[in-house]
Amino acid sequence: METKQQAPFIDIKDLSHIYTDTENNEVLALDKVNLAIRPGEFVAVIGTNGSGKSTLARHLNALLLPSEGTVKIQGMDTLDETKLWEIRQNVGMVFQNPDNQIVAAVVEEDVAFGPENIGVPPDEIRQRVEDALKAVGMTEYRTRAPHLLSGGQKQRVAIAGTLALGSNCIVLDEPTAMLDPQGRKEIVGTVRKLNKEKHITVVYITHNMVEAIHADRVVVMKKGRILFQGTPQEVFSRVEELEELGLEAPLAAKVAFELRKTGMKLPQGIITNEDLAQALA
Amino acid sequence: MLGDITLGQYYPGNSFVHCLDPRTKILVTLLLIVAIFLAQSVPAYVALWVMVFFVIAISKLPFLLVFKSVKPLLFIILLTLAMHVFVGQGETVLYQWKFIRITQEGIAMGIKMSMRLMLLLMISSVLTFTTSPIVLTDGIESLLRPFRCIGVPAHELAMMMTIALRFIPTLLEETDRIIKAQTSRGADFQSGNILQKAKNMLPILIPLFISAFRRADDLAVAMEARCYRGGEGRTRMHQLAYRGGDAAAFVFGIAMIVFLVLLRWGPLAAKL
Repeated sequence: METKQQAPFIDIKDLSHIYTDTENNEVLALDKVNLAIRPGEFVAVIGTNGSGKSTLARHLNALLLPSEGTVKIQGMDTLDETKLWEIRQNVGMVFQNPDNQIVAAVVEEDVAFGPENIGVPPDEIRQRVEDALKAVGMTEYRTRAPHLLSGGQKQRVAIAGTLALGSNCIVLDEPTAMLDPQGRKEIVGTVRKLNKEKHITVVYITHNMVEAIHADRVVVMKKGRILFQGTPQEVFSRVEELEELGLEAPLAAKVAFELRKTGMKLPQGIITNEDLAQALA
Repeated sequence: MLGDITLGQYYPGNSFVHCLDPRTKILVTLLLIVAIFLAQSVPAYVALWVMVFFVIAISKLPFLLVFKSVKPLLFIILLTLAMHVFVGQGETVLYQWKFIRITQEGIAMGIKMSMRLMLLLMISSVLTFTTSPIVLTDGIESLLRPFRCIGVPAHELAMMMTIALRFIPTLLEETDRIIKAQTSRGADFQSGNILQKAKNMLPILIPLFISAFRRADDLAVAMEARCYRGGEGRTRMHQLAYRGGDAAAFVFGIAMIVFLVLLRWGPLAAKL
């Protein structure tokens, strides 16, 4: 399964992003970020507000363009205007507010919005919409009005929208921040399923550590830089460092950390409740 | 407070009229409106009433529902009737007192005019009862497309209508929330005169506008991320297509016009 030699799906080199705020100060939102993401990888990006994680997300489908450095999606440079639409087809975006990204007044029409924009023939759109709704488990809601759906369902419709566009990479920018626990579960489950079954590359931006547990790799950001990265086991074992950043490690990791401090011998890499229960038993 | 709202007045069903192409329904409604304006004689009005009842019947809409669509304009209809009846023109004066002058012709005219309004309301509400706003938007876009060359932004208009339809419920929900939030902080929306009340609405309108602009901004980014770049080169999942029933509907609309033209100017017109 290891595909380290494979060309990266997303290749970010020395990416810096500078913007001017309302008081005309130049702000460095991203500072020489280097990151390569393999096809089919599930990468979680964590960090507090202002760490630059959302800015990073918007660079991945050319909604923002680098002030310095390059972002390449499957070898296509985001600065290359002729590749713009191809890049946006390849990398789908799901945003934080479920209400503000649904365009049409019927679920299936909204899922069809993307393929309609790129001029896919009607029959194929219908097929894509059906497949996409099935993949996120929303087929029975296809003729509903979006405002009658729950937050989790709306976000699943948004995910279906990116699938119908033909994206093989989905960037989710804090997709669960406005959802209740049930909706959160739905989204995390859907994203994991798509990653496992359809080998969709996932970039999952969050400040909820628990949602990052199932990622292949966790990237920790602070003030526009990547601070450290690694497997969830590696990252979440650094409980004190995370706390210094204002991030909270998953409860199980914290408990294991505290227990170890009292002298209890626990194996490394405990991050889920199940791990902890097993280690203690 | 604002409760469940239904957009438009779509009455779901799958009758012959429901299944017609929206373009057909819009155009035939226009034809029938022309027909209504052509009517002058009593037989013509009888024919129109029969026509409206026929259309309602094949739409499988409850008659009462369609009659109720007259209600919002009831006042205007009654006013029209009253104007014609009480200050009517004509020779056959039935009653006269100061400026009030009731004539036979006036009464006839008043009845005709108010009937015309009622017929117009009923036939156009059959259109909105049998067509969902979304499908109606598709139909309007398609009908306006030929006028693009003279600068009618057909796609843009349809897109705006779609987004409006999508966001009206969301913004209503938001309004509801803001009203509750402001009420809980002691805002008063009930007392005072009209001017006072209007002024009291500001704490609702300002947050609502700010949030609407934020939503618009978010939506624009989301649309761009999904490859939206205007109507050029865009396809639609639901293609509109004329079928056999549409031809029948057109024939019906044109036949009504021909029939009413004959009733008005035809060889029999003089005798009626």
